[in-house]
Amino acid sequence: MATGEQPRGQTLGDRLYDFAFKNRVWKSVFRSGYPNTPRNQMLAVATNVFLHLHPTRIHRTHVKITHTFCLGGLSFFLFLGLTITGVLLMFYYVPSIERAYGDILRLETDVRFGQLLRNLHRWMAHGMVLTVLMHMMRVFYTGAYKPPREFNWVVGVVLLVLTLLLSFTGYLLPWDQLALWAITVGTNMVGSAPILGEPNRFVLVGGFQVGQAALIRFYTLHVIGLPLIAAIFMAVHFWRIRRDGGLARPL
Amino acid sequence: MAVSEQAQPVSGAVRGRQRRAREEELLVWPDLVFIEFIAAVLFTITLAILSVLVDAVLLDRANPAITPNPSKAPWYFLNLQELLLHMHPALAGVIVPTVALIALGAIPYFDTSNAGQGEWLSTPRAWPNLIVGSIVGFVGTLLLIFYDASSHVRLYEWVANPGKSKFLSNGELNPSFNGWPDSLAFLKSLRSIETELNWPDALTSIPVGEKILRTDLLGLPAIPLEINVAKVIVEQIIPVSTMIGLPILLSIVAWKVGLAQTKRDHMILQFSGFIAVFVILTIIGTFFRGEGLELVPYTIYSHG
Ligand code: HEM
Repeated sequence: MATGEQPRGQTLGDRLYDFAFKNRVWKSVFRSGYPNTPRNQMLAVATNVFLHLHPTRIHRTHVKITHTFCLGGLSFFLFLGLTITGVLLMFYYVPSIERAYGDILRLETDVRFGQLLRNLHRWMAHGMVLTVLMHMMRVFYTGAYKPPREFNWVVGVVLLVLTLLLSFTGYLLPWDQLALWAITVGTNMVGSAPILGEPNRFVLVGGFQVGQAALIRFYTLHVIGLPLIAAIFMAVHFWRIRRDGGLARPL
Repeated sequence: MAVSEQAQPVSGAVRGRQRRAREEELLVWPDLVFIEFIAAVLFTITLAILSVLVDAVLLDRANPAITPNPSKAPWYFLNLQELLLHMHPALAGVIVPTVALIALGAIPYFDTSNAGQGEWLSTPRAWPNLIVGSIVGFVGTLLLIFYDASSHVRLYEWVANPGKSKFLSNGELNPSFNGWPDSLAFLKSLRSIETELNWPDALTSIPVGEKILRTDLLGLPAIPLEINVAKVIVEQIIPVSTMIGLPILLSIVAWKVGLAQTKRDHMILQFSGFIAVFVILTIIGTFFRGEGLELVPYTIYSHG
């Protein structure tokens, strides 16, 4: 047929593509098509509740790994990982001084992958303290606290304190000698403050020494109170990064 | 009103959003999302390997009747526990960390210039200030810790007595041994100022009574105060002046020699010093404090 160029018929690949990414189910979930064009790539970020923490475009210097070393992102990633492993740990743990230690022993010996679960939670907790501290140093040395980001730096300092408190409250839960005495030493420091120190220590520990009252207080703070507050501050932190015009760059 | 303001942005230096340079921008998907994904995968693998290889510790069941020696806080608080050995507990346990956190949060309100923003250590004297601040903080803190552990006394006695030992074989003090001079006994450690000087009783127990700290008004037991000037000097005045004075001195010297000229320079100098002090205190507290929290060569007591 010599009527000029006709559009080629659909190849098998095209049909598979349409089948996979242009069907009603895909579109109902993702709204935009497969992110292989700039338009769809931006839509993929902008229309996804998780990805839209990001802007759709970003300055090229901020994509370099050596600019952030991904440290803030890794802190957040560890926070998420700690939440997941923490929820799983809660299945096996009862915060009572009669049961807690035995529960950890049983977790390590009787529960499939229990020891691994506990190890993951522990190492992620230590890791998060480290990544948050290093993130603070990277923000400082890149001068990213300067106007208009002053307030986000303050939010960051609050997040640092919350991270330390999360780790500290978790430290008591295994109810072994390490836990008991580390928390005793730590809370005694609070008690050493002039005048209000001892009453504060008493409220924190729920008594004169670290016992059942302290365990349930630390547990509640650790599994719900502090994570909630931290999540709120992280939301503010991320929101402010966007509001302050993305990551800092030279003027 | 609001609309017209929006339509005509104020010219000049607008605090707030920077203008965007579109041609310098990349798409977050895939350029950033990909990197984040790889970082997350690498971290997951590293943590999984670590968790398979190294188990989290679990000691014996908690027992309030048995106090382990030494008892240590979690590692990130060992810096404070280390401070506790050298000053009043209220200072080390509460006041220093509180002031440090407030100072940390206040950094952007001191250093408000935009110099060096958004780039690693890009102001002219950034690196020298970082290096000097770190070294001074690290070495200075070490020296102070050694002083309080009387290391200089041991060093002196070792140098002044080549080949001699302090005690004879029968356990008596060696008469020809040149010890630390008695007239300087108050310089053996910080605490010696209180214990080795002849403080008149009038100064070591000044009764103040219950009228100053009216804790009874808070419904707490009244605290009768008795001021010991020697103790106050050793536990509060000297530590506070050291912790405030040495950083100020550092900044003044750095300013005089032209190392720190701008606010950002001073910030880098002080922040690096702070981090170095934090790190060295944590290391000493973690690895070099043994039984009775004595300074020891190297030990891992609690691996938590
Ligand atoms: C739980 C703790 C924290 C999380 C999850 C977190 C997360 C993040 C993330 C994901 C970013 C984006 C850039 C990057 O990855 O570096 C960021 C930026 C930032 N963070 Fe954090 N952060 C935390 C703690 C802190 C702390 C302790 C500080 C400072 C004291 C801080 C100050 C800032 C500032 C000022 C920025 C903007 C940096 C820029 O514009 O280049 N954050 N944070």
